[in-house]
Amino acid sequence: MTSAILVVETVVVVLLTLLVAGLLRSHAEILRRLHALGAGLDPDAPADREGPAISRPVDLRTPGSETFAAAADLDGAGLRDDAVHVSVVGARRRTLLAFLSSGCLTCQGFWEAFADGRGLDLSADIRLVVVTKDGGEESISALRRLAPPHLPVVMSSAAWADYRVPGSPYFVLVDGPDGRVRGEGTGANWDQVKNLLRQALDDSHGDGREVRIDRALLAQGVAPGDPSLYRTAAQIAEDSRA
Amino acid sequence: MRSLAAHGLALGVPPGWEGRIQRRGVSFPVERTRSVVHLANFALPEQRDDFGGGVTPAMRSPDVFVVLFEYGPESLGAPLFASKGVPRVTADMFGSRRLQRPLPGQLGCQHFFTAGGRPFCLYVVAGSRAYLPRIVADVNAVLAGLDIEP
Repeated sequence: MTSAILVVETVVVVLLTLLVAGLLRSHAEILRRLHALGAGLDPDAPADREGPAISRPVDLRTPGSETFAAAADLDGAGLRDDAVHVSVVGARRRTLLAFLSSGCLTCQGFWEAFADGRGLDLSADIRLVVVTKDGGEESISALRRLAPPHLPVVMSSAAWADYRVPGSPYFVLVDGPDGRVRGEGTGANWDQVKNLLRQALDDSHGDGREVRIDRALLAQGVAPGDPSLYRTAAQIAEDSRA
Repeated sequence: MRSLAAHGLALGVPPGWEGRIQRRGVSFPVERTRSVVHLANFALPEQRDDFGGGVTPAMRSPDVFVVLFEYGPESLGAPLFASKGVPRVTADMFGSRRLQRPLPGQLGCQHFFTAGGRPFCLYVVAGSRAYLPRIVADVNAVLAGLDIEP
């Protein structure tokens, strides 16, 4: 009798062990997939970590849409009982529209980054404008606390619809003179958005990459026509052997 | 033109222009501020004074900055505001000595008037005399679409 009880208990323990192991494995798989979608649970994870997780900007272009939305000026309200019209189409500079909200956790990092405009490392020909939803869908008192005084903030749900914004945070780069959207997407932090911006600029202006390379070479004292630019692979290999 | 409306004022904003209609915040509960309209054919900085401080130093030759500043009812009936209705501007109304803050090359124009039972100052800064004909035409097109509610 005792032997039978021991056998039954052993079987139960083995089954429970298998069950717990299965649950742990399932849990790990769920976490791995969440992480791959950019919803990692580690807030201290380094932003520049390699891998498919949150380190890369995630393209959230509207599904089914092969092209960007048509660019449009911004009409809405400011944060101090004012009416606002911001020129985007036909503007002399490019405009980076930052669609943010007062409540989303990821947006907090962007509000903090925007508070120090110099730290943004934005080109002088790009103007940053924050667009939130209308006052009825936002906490105006929270926005007043978050928005730095030098930054244009427009509350306009219409702009969210015009640019087909899927959620916050979301960024759209518009070229003012030709009035077209040049890139859009999102990221977990400002560094990721800057990378997205750089890609958009490279894509829209084929010489963007070339200009950056030229600047890097000039910084090292390599000017156009420098003989070092015209060495053959064989010469380079020979120099490195010497 | 896109329309901009707030505080009993409505106007059309030409393509490529920016606009704000605002009221300054109050420091004391009994204080009451009035409407201020800012229009420009360039990107308006967020930190700007009522009459263009923080704006005009960065203007270029083709630029224009328009202010419509409302005064309190105590100004009604004063000789300064005797002109009735929304005015139009002409090139001879502009001069370098009519600027709130004189800057090289810039010209200013000030006109006080009453419309809709409300006293206003129209203040325009032109980036240069070379562009004045176009600036005058553009400003008058905006003024033609200005609606002031009593």
